[in-house]
Amino acid sequence: MSASIKDRLSTLKTTISKKPHIVVETQICDTKCPHQCTTYVCPAKCYEIRDGKMLFQYEDCIECGTCLYACDQGAVSWNYPESGHGVTFPMG
Amino acid sequence: MEEEKFDCIIVGGGVAGTAAAYVLAQNGAKILLVEKGEWTGSKNVSGGVIWGPTVWEIFPELINSIENPPYERFINRRRLSFMSEASSFSIDFHSEEFSSAPYNGVSVLRSRFDKWLGEQVEEAIAASDYAEDSLVATSILVDELVNENGRVCGIRCGEDIFYSDSVILAEGVNNLLTRSCGLMDDSYEAELVGTGIKEVWQFDRDLLESRFQLEGRSGVSNEFVGCTEGVEGGGFVYTNLDTISIGLVLGLKTLRDSGKAVYDILDSFKAHPSIKPILQGGKMVEYSAHVVPVGDIRLVPKQLYKDGVLVVGDAAGLLMNTGKSIEGMNLAMESGRQAALAVLRAKKQGDFSSKTLGSYQESLAQTFVLKDMNNFQGAVKFLHQPAMFKSYPNLVNQIMKNLFVADGEPKRKTRQIIQDCISESDLSYWDVLKTSLWGGAAL
Repeated sequence: MSASIKDRLSTLKTTISKKPHIVVETQICDTKCPHQCTTYVCPAKCYEIRDGKMLFQYEDCIECGTCLYACDQGAVSWNYPESGHGVTFPMG
Repeated sequence: MEEEKFDCIIVGGGVAGTAAAYVLAQNGAKILLVEKGEWTGSKNVSGGVIWGPTVWEIFPELINSIENPPYERFINRRRLSFMSEASSFSIDFHSEEFSSAPYNGVSVLRSRFDKWLGEQVEEAIAASDYAEDSLVATSILVDELVNENGRVCGIRCGEDIFYSDSVILAEGVNNLLTRSCGLMDDSYEAELVGTGIKEVWQFDRDLLESRFQLEGRSGVSNEFVGCTEGVEGGGFVYTNLDTISIGLVLGLKTLRDSGKAVYDILDSFKAHPSIKPILQGGKMVEYSAHVVPVGDIRLVPKQLYKDGVLVVGDAAGLLMNTGKSIEGMNLAMESGRQAALAVLRAKKQGDFSSKTLGSYQESLAQTFVLKDMNNFQGAVKFLHQPAMFKSYPNLVNQIMKNLFVADGEPKRKTRQIIQDCISESDLSYWDVLKTSLWGGAAL
């Protein structure tokens, strides 16, 4: 009954910009963050730990703002995608 | 771009921004409504039910749309459910008194509903003196506010600058512009917001209506407590025309502390024995998420205006959580209307300084928006107690189970059952007494 996050995100239309709208200083996540919470609070799974290092990809972002409020280490520089880009919710 | 000046630029085509734009356009103002999405609503997400009369007052056309309305269903059944792992106990209220328009509540899918709101704004513009000059501009992100001598006087979108006497910030909870102009400080506090996560499931309409006992366009709202694995927050199921919205709102700080994944908590909610059958025969057709204010007044700026600028809706942290219901969109719309009226007063006086725009906050304080938020801060604190999300829903279900069980043992009286259940729970009599007294006063 539970679809993967990839399958869930495939229900949305996204126009991916070439320019990342969110920039993460992953060095902060890797060296001083006690919780690395973005890996489990981000509903789109844009943050993952691989080989002990934080990896962030903006392409799946649905602009919800969770990481903007959740990161208390100053690692996330958050913005909206440039005009005409990003997520579209058919229903909302 | 030739320099033309608007009376007001409204940033954001959600319920607050379109309400403000509509009131302004109807009352002879030259406006620009800027939306970053492809259409008004295309990036908007909510639970969601719009409660109360505000939407009907601002958009009277809604009454005439009843044959083919932009909303999904009117809500005449409200249910609140307390869940433990194996059980659920519900309070269920159904009333014919909620069955005639203007409805007490309507379920909406924002991408559709806000699109209709945007069309209403366009119609109001077309009927105004500024049919050629006012506009709704979509697919445009506002990069920054433009200031002159310390007052906001326009917006910059890429290379283009648009000037105006006033700007209404209706940009939602991820309020970068509101923070950039100093209306709110720069600390994004996880404690003051939640993450909403939702799936929309599609059904055959007849199946949906028989499953939820619906008639015509009637609908159900069901909120849930105790379904969040101990994380602060709750769940919801709302019926739409041929879909249901199912999801959770989770307090972001306790979610962060819990170490649990937001979608795993949603999956366990969907797998609950009381929820699983609801989804049978349906198909998940949309996944979405968005941050929401949780109703804490500390998120609301002390001052909602400055020279040339006002902030409304989620951008201003406006949300009411009484424990009995959570309301956001009606607060957003009312604040949009009040901001628009303040701009109209300023236009009349030819003064857009904070001195005249301050009437926005004065009039908002006289409406349910700030009255309810201030009045129910106790409820917000009360509902923040960790025990609310596990211990109490468990206790309620334990009591109900013992009231209803037929186990071949001699029956205990109700009072004895309650005493036994409390002593078997992780709560003390003192906790329960304190909580009932506090709850009675706060909710």
